[in-house]
Amino acid sequence: MRQAVTDTMDPMWVRACLIGLATLFLAVLLFVPLAGVFLFAFSAGADVFLRAVSNAETLHAAWLTFLAVAVCIPLNVCFGVAAAWAITRFEFRGKALLVTLIEVPLAVSPVVAGLMVMLVYGHQGLLGPILAEYDVKVVFSLPSILIATTFVTFPLIARELIPLMRLQGGHEEAAALTLGASPWRMFFMVTLPKIRWGLLYGIILCAARAMGEFGAVSVVSGHIRGRTNTLPLHVEILYNEYQFAAAFAVASLLALSALVWLTLKSVLELRTQ
Amino acid sequence: MSIVLDQISKRFGSHSVVQRVSLEIASGELFVLLGGSGSGKSTLLRIIAGLLSPNEGRVAIGGVDVTQLPPQKRDVGFVFQNYAVFRHMSVGENIEFGLRVRGVARAQCIERRDELLDLVGLTGLAHRRPHQLSGGQLQRVALARALAYRPTVLLLDEPFGALDLQVRTQLRRSLRSIQDELGITTVLVTHDQEEAFELGDRVGVLYRGGLVEVGDPMSLYHRPHTDHVASFIGGGNVLVGRKVGPLIQLGNVQIPMPQQAKVHQEGAPVRVLFRPEDVTLSDAPPRDAVQLGQGVIVESTFAGSVSRVRVEVEGLRGARSLAPYPTYGQKAPHVEVTFPSAAQMPHLQESRFLSLNRYHVLDPHGLSVLSLVGRHAEVDAALRVGAVVARASHGTLYTFKEAMRGDSERVRKELRLGAEQILPAAQVETIVRDGEVVESFVDEAQRGLYDLAVLGREGDGAFEPQVLRSLSIRLLRMVGIPVVLAHPTTTKIGRMLICTAAGEPGKGDVLFGARLARHFRAHVTVIHVQRFGATPLDVSRAKKHLESAAQSLAAMGIEHEVMVKTGDVAMALRDTVARGKYDLVLFGASGSASRRALLFLEDLIRGANTSVAVIPMMG
Repeated sequence: MRQAVTDTMDPMWVRACLIGLATLFLAVLLFVPLAGVFLFAFSAGADVFLRAVSNAETLHAAWLTFLAVAVCIPLNVCFGVAAAWAITRFEFRGKALLVTLIEVPLAVSPVVAGLMVMLVYGHQGLLGPILAEYDVKVVFSLPSILIATTFVTFPLIARELIPLMRLQGGHEEAAALTLGASPWRMFFMVTLPKIRWGLLYGIILCAARAMGEFGAVSVVSGHIRGRTNTLPLHVEILYNEYQFAAAFAVASLLALSALVWLTLKSVLELRTQ
Repeated sequence: MSIVLDQISKRFGSHSVVQRVSLEIASGELFVLLGGSGSGKSTLLRIIAGLLSPNEGRVAIGGVDVTQLPPQKRDVGFVFQNYAVFRHMSVGENIEFGLRVRGVARAQCIERRDELLDLVGLTGLAHRRPHQLSGGQLQRVALARALAYRPTVLLLDEPFGALDLQVRTQLRRSLRSIQDELGITTVLVTHDQEEAFELGDRVGVLYRGGLVEVGDPMSLYHRPHTDHVASFIGGGNVLVGRKVGPLIQLGNVQIPMPQQAKVHQEGAPVRVLFRPEDVTLSDAPPRDAVQLGQGVIVESTFAGSVSRVRVEVEGLRGARSLAPYPTYGQKAPHVEVTFPSAAQMPHLQESRFLSLNRYHVLDPHGLSVLSLVGRHAEVDAALRVGAVVARASHGTLYTFKEAMRGDSERVRKELRLGAEQILPAAQVETIVRDGEVVESFVDEAQRGLYDLAVLGREGDGAFEPQVLRSLSIRLLRMVGIPVVLAHPTTTKIGRMLICTAAGEPGKGDVLFGARLARHFRAHVTVIHVQRFGATPLDVSRAKKHLESAAQSLAAMGIEHEVMVKTGDVAMALRDTVARGKYDLVLFGASGSASRRALLFLEDLIRGANTSVAVIPMMG
């Protein structure tokens, strides 16, 4: 019988079994379904695929999804940097509570997040009467989609930055101040360059999540075709109407964008290492 | 430019880090702040730079009050221990940073940058990235960066702490020569005394947030004023003896009191410092030198340039050793001696004669007060009164409390918090013991470190009266130090009553009372009660005693009055105590009669809101 090479190295058959198991698991749960999406998308021919992705409703859904991403990223960058700065540089009461609260959107189900938006901005909600008075429409329209997406994604950037900034400490910032830099200058010349890779990484996570968000948006958007449908919602509608080829065609767009984000993320990871 | 610190205090939460530090640093001076970890030295430097703002006090740079200015407006150069070089910029960009934020033109930036690279010995490295440099080079970059815009003062926070020995020595030399060349006022923080001596024009020693002593390196080393500096700097021998006439009694050894020593009272503790290199070992008793007698070599170490031995000196038994700190079970004080390692090293257990080439007497310090703290430190009478006495005499309060093993850190913290409401942290020490509290307290008192012991006589969590009585008797008889029975209402000592009635009129109580009264600027009443049927001899002796008491009080500038009453001693005294609103009543008790005296005393002060001091008398 062969002996393990070192104490930490398991025998060959254990390693083979573990790797095999993991591969099988991935194949069943990931590779096959993913391949299935692309296969189904083209099952009725390329022209069906092209028609499905280029019709007005799909284009509008794509536009809406892009808009949600474009709005939620800058908001979350501002919030994430500010929160990480406050948490890593200052001591204040309720700091532990703030750290926990930031995690809330990740912990609660997106459906609940959607309902929370309804509770506040819906017709029966807290702000409903005031919004109605000024004739501002939030739910079942664009603003509610933006709010829901931002809410669901807001922890992602802060969570990337907090450990990073904690690790880096504030010495270089203190040095910049003693060298005569104003606080803004210090931020742009020292802090931002120090955290840029972590920030970019957070942005990618945020974008990927915002594009794919279904639950919260599904509750608040009202599924109005050509008006408040984002790509994931559009896929669901097509699927429920038995337009399988079209549903998978649109789904393949989403899967493709996810792959792009993941590739970018991996490149960044290599780069920061 | 000059730097002036005026009464700077800084707290983090309830934890006091810097306490009332005042300091003037002259223009062009290189000043070193020396202290161990947690002494507050870095905090003080950050306060000068504006990176922290003090809770109290003012900072002035070049005669301008900058207390309210943010760091970027103070025009200081700061060098951090961990370099804090901007990793995403090249060496050149780092150095130009201060110039660029000041809007200096590009060409001038480059010119100045190259000038500074030359100055710190990094010529031609402007385009290197920080990760390509060694620690020593990074610190040179940080120094160049801090000097680029010609700041008014240069502040360095343990700049060489993270570097290895060789690089450190090199950088030290560069810093000294750069500072000489530029003549910039510089403050350097370090825990390394060698560095402090080598670099500092003057050195300030910080201990627990207080500036203990300031002086040039030579006088700090050879003529310190405080035992903290004597033992922190350069491993000295510090022994505590007593003043006896023109001599200092160290155990059985007597050495002359030096001319330049500050005046000590007769019998007061005298702390003698001698450096290891100032002791000579010889085979025969040397003539014309101050002798310490014979000792036995108990330890010897080779340390490169010098050899170091420890000698146990039988003749010094009875003198207390502050440094080197006594090891458990040692019979007599150990004296540390160094000599050039080329010389013949004596063998262990060999006997040698010791003599001193030079020694120094530290300043007499305030009272060392040992307080036994009861259950609740925050309201404890012994702790409060002890702190009040230590504060008035600029002495030290040693708080003593029993605690279970494992709980001692919490108890220490509690003791500190209790005492620091009254005293600066530098004047507070905590002693926490597990085991039988009376026994361990007597043991502690017997170390001979203390001028008086304080016990709480009433109040929340105080000890039982019979425990206090037996403890007091042991302290008076066996240890022979004054015992104060503290009352919780005593917050100051403004009026004092000295009872000279009990037993033979002595003078110990008056002298000790005078010492306390001087610190408090208290009013002193000396009372003597003439018993019915006293003989004329008794009367004349008492009269003489009172006269000399009044004389010595007057000589010390103490406001006083003398009271003579006739009648029943107990009644007369009780009446006086009840009416006089005294904060402290002093009593002399001879060792053999201490039990009777204490019982009498307890009866006397029952119900009176006053603290009591019992002074042990000879005989």
